[in-house]
Amino acid sequence: MIEITDFSFQYREGGEPTVRDINLSIPAGTFVGITGPAGSGKSTLTYAMNGIVPHCYPGDFYGSVLVDGLDTCETALTDLSRAVGSVCQDVDSQFVTPVVEDEVLYGMENFGVPRDEMETRLERALADMGIADLRERTIASLSGGQKQKVAIASVLAMEPKVLVLDEPTAELDPASSQSVFDLLVSYARTHGTTVVVVEQKIALLSRYADMLVVVEGGRVRFADEPRRVLAHADELLEIGVNCPRSTTLVNRLADRGVCERVAVRTVSEACDALEQVVA
Amino acid sequence: MVEFREVRASYEAALPVLKGVGFTIEQGEFVAFAGTNGAGKSTTMRLVNGLLKPDAGQVLVDGVSTTELKTSHLARTVGFLFQNPDSQICCNTVREELMFGFKALGLAGKGAAFEDAQQAEERVDAMIREFGFNPDADPFLLNRGARQLLALASIVVLAPPVVVLDEPTTGLDYRECAKVMNIVRRMHEAGTTVLMVCHDMEVVADYAKRCIVMNDGRVVDDGPVFEVLRNRDTLARASLMPPQVVDVSLELARRVPGLAEGPVGRANTLEDMVEAVATVAEGGLA
Amino acid sequence: MSAFLEYVPGKSPLHRMNPVAKLGAAALFAVACFCTSSLVFLMALLAAGLALAAMCGMVRQTLGLVRAVLAFSLILAVVQLLTTPAGVQLVQLPWGYIGTGSLIAALTTIVRLAAAAIPLFLVFYVTKTNDLANAAVKVLHVPYKYAFTFTSTVHFIPVFMNDMKGVMEAQTARGVEFDRGGIVQKARLMVPLCVPLLVSSVRKTNSAAIAAEVRGFNLRTAASGYKEYPMRVLDAAALAGGALLVALAVALG
Repeated sequence: MIEITDFSFQYREGGEPTVRDINLSIPAGTFVGITGPAGSGKSTLTYAMNGIVPHCYPGDFYGSVLVDGLDTCETALTDLSRAVGSVCQDVDSQFVTPVVEDEVLYGMENFGVPRDEMETRLERALADMGIADLRERTIASLSGGQKQKVAIASVLAMEPKVLVLDEPTAELDPASSQSVFDLLVSYARTHGTTVVVVEQKIALLSRYADMLVVVEGGRVRFADEPRRVLAHADELLEIGVNCPRSTTLVNRLADRGVCERVAVRTVSEACDALEQVVA
Repeated sequence: MVEFREVRASYEAALPVLKGVGFTIEQGEFVAFAGTNGAGKSTTMRLVNGLLKPDAGQVLVDGVSTTELKTSHLARTVGFLFQNPDSQICCNTVREELMFGFKALGLAGKGAAFEDAQQAEERVDAMIREFGFNPDADPFLLNRGARQLLALASIVVLAPPVVVLDEPTTGLDYRECAKVMNIVRRMHEAGTTVLMVCHDMEVVADYAKRCIVMNDGRVVDDGPVFEVLRNRDTLARASLMPPQVVDVSLELARRVPGLAEGPVGRANTLEDMVEAVATVAEGGLA
Repeated sequence: MSAFLEYVPGKSPLHRMNPVAKLGAAALFAVACFCTSSLVFLMALLAAGLALAAMCGMVRQTLGLVRAVLAFSLILAVVQLLTTPAGVQLVQLPWGYIGTGSLIAALTTIVRLAAAAIPLFLVFYVTKTNDLANAAVKVLHVPYKYAFTFTSTVHFIPVFMNDMKGVMEAQTARGVEFDRGGIVQKARLMVPLCVPLLVSSVRKTNSAAIAAEVRGFNLRTAASGYKEYPMRVLDAAALAGGALLVALAVALG
């Protein structure tokens, strides 16, 4: 669904991180988590996927980025947006209307979704994000988690093949963060949507993502199943990415020869690995 | 040092946010406040430095009710790190930013006593060395983590007896987070009373000594950090999860009979857990 | 928790009127206020405005607005008081005098500004800004680009006010005495904080523009909206009423 070949990008204004020599192939329907230290180029990588680079920021673009067969350089941003839905980091500035239902309608109206389909899609998008009861509320009256879900619903209503989210849970508490991920994963599974999400919370990515991409200094250091990436715990720590504690725990015990070396992603996997040892 | 007596508070009379909150924090404690968004944690913090006054009950800081004091006066006692460093940073260089608090408190700049001003200069210089800042850098060109660090430094430099931190690690990566939190730890070790709102339970477990769990405007649990974090049911009621090592310990104790009373069932930190499992495993082999 | 100029949901007749008609009628109402000098008529208009506010449950917001307008018009009123020597002399001034006429002129200014402002601001409380923009595009065929500039400006007012509140609180917490002294003191303290506020606004507008673009901003035309904004009897009546008020105002002088 997304094919990135020998891609490099240098912002003309400088300052922002640059990405270099990126090669990445993301099959349709994959749930991809991108992580890495601050300033490593995570956001730039997502901008390349939704076309904001090079369409909104001037700079030098090398290589090619194909999304759903469209070359992001040659396709107008608006046409690209039909295939790729984006939820930006600061959802507050993404909203263009004061009320939830209008916000979800906005994109559909612009992209010319037939009138008789709008109501169905509106209801479905709200239901998919678990916020059907918020339809008539003003956005200003919502909590951070609810706003995030409205922002996602307003993009889902356009039924994109790819959904790109930049740190959707940065401001959320653990319960809302998990709820956002639960909803995203179940939506992606039922609709076959490819999801790319930038996230600092490695424990969430390890648990939910099919593919974990670790970016450092503008380069992709790892891009694989979370389990395989987490096997490189020491290198990750050196980059400035901390593994989930349960992973580190099992690694340390394996170092001491107490248990088998398995890269666990979650607490329950760690318990599976240790249960026999302590029994 | 900070005492809440049956505090009720709201932003709009019809929507109470705190519905009777009480606790006492002694000098030198490091207390984390946990709970979901909307549980009343940030409101509690705002009451501590008088940005919000209680509708009922009393908030006492150093024995004095905050209703009798202005926030700008309380600033001498309570340093407050806001969630967004951009609302705090306002100067053109890092050095000026660090001096700003002294000027606002009348300890430097126009009308300040010579010794005060000199001491301020010295403290700022020491802070610049300690944090490794470039004193002439423009704060607005720094990245998010560095701005957060600067915002924290501009409070640390004033050495207030109490600091309040509202989600100090939000939006930071792992290294930046460790850097910020290690500075907080050093302040605590030097005797500063620390109140911190934090969503990251790993950070709470790593740094705080006491944890107050809030839910729907009330305190639902309060005690030594690991006693609170091992109380899975109470945490769940506040929509929280224990940190992963504690979770592993609780889950293993549930799965394996007899483990709860042993070292594995009591381990809270990564190091303790590694030792505990290794001991049990090696003991089992022996 | 509604902020300044922020939409308050409701089902009153005013809420349900055509946005363009609402704005048009409110504008005519304001014009009427400026076409007359009759204090009695202005008082009646002010009362009508307050009645409208009461009708859609917006009394609290409206009184807040009236207070703000009062503060502003008081300055104008004082100037007028000192520079309009008319009526029976009350106080002798080096350059003239304050008379009963001056008092009436000053009072007229205050009532006029308050009466003119209420319906205009009420429109924003009872109309979603995007409805106003969509209706302007659909009914008046205003190009969407301009309508969007308008809505996003209005949309950013509360965001900006919120940022400003955040900055003031953060500085108060550092010992800056925003919580002491009057408006002049606050304004003086605010000046150095304007730059960071502007920086963050520019950043926000930039990301807002991008967010709108990836949601098909460029494709939007007069035909795009989901909702229709037909003119109904009540709308026509409101516009006619507004026109009548203007005529009456001109006639009364």
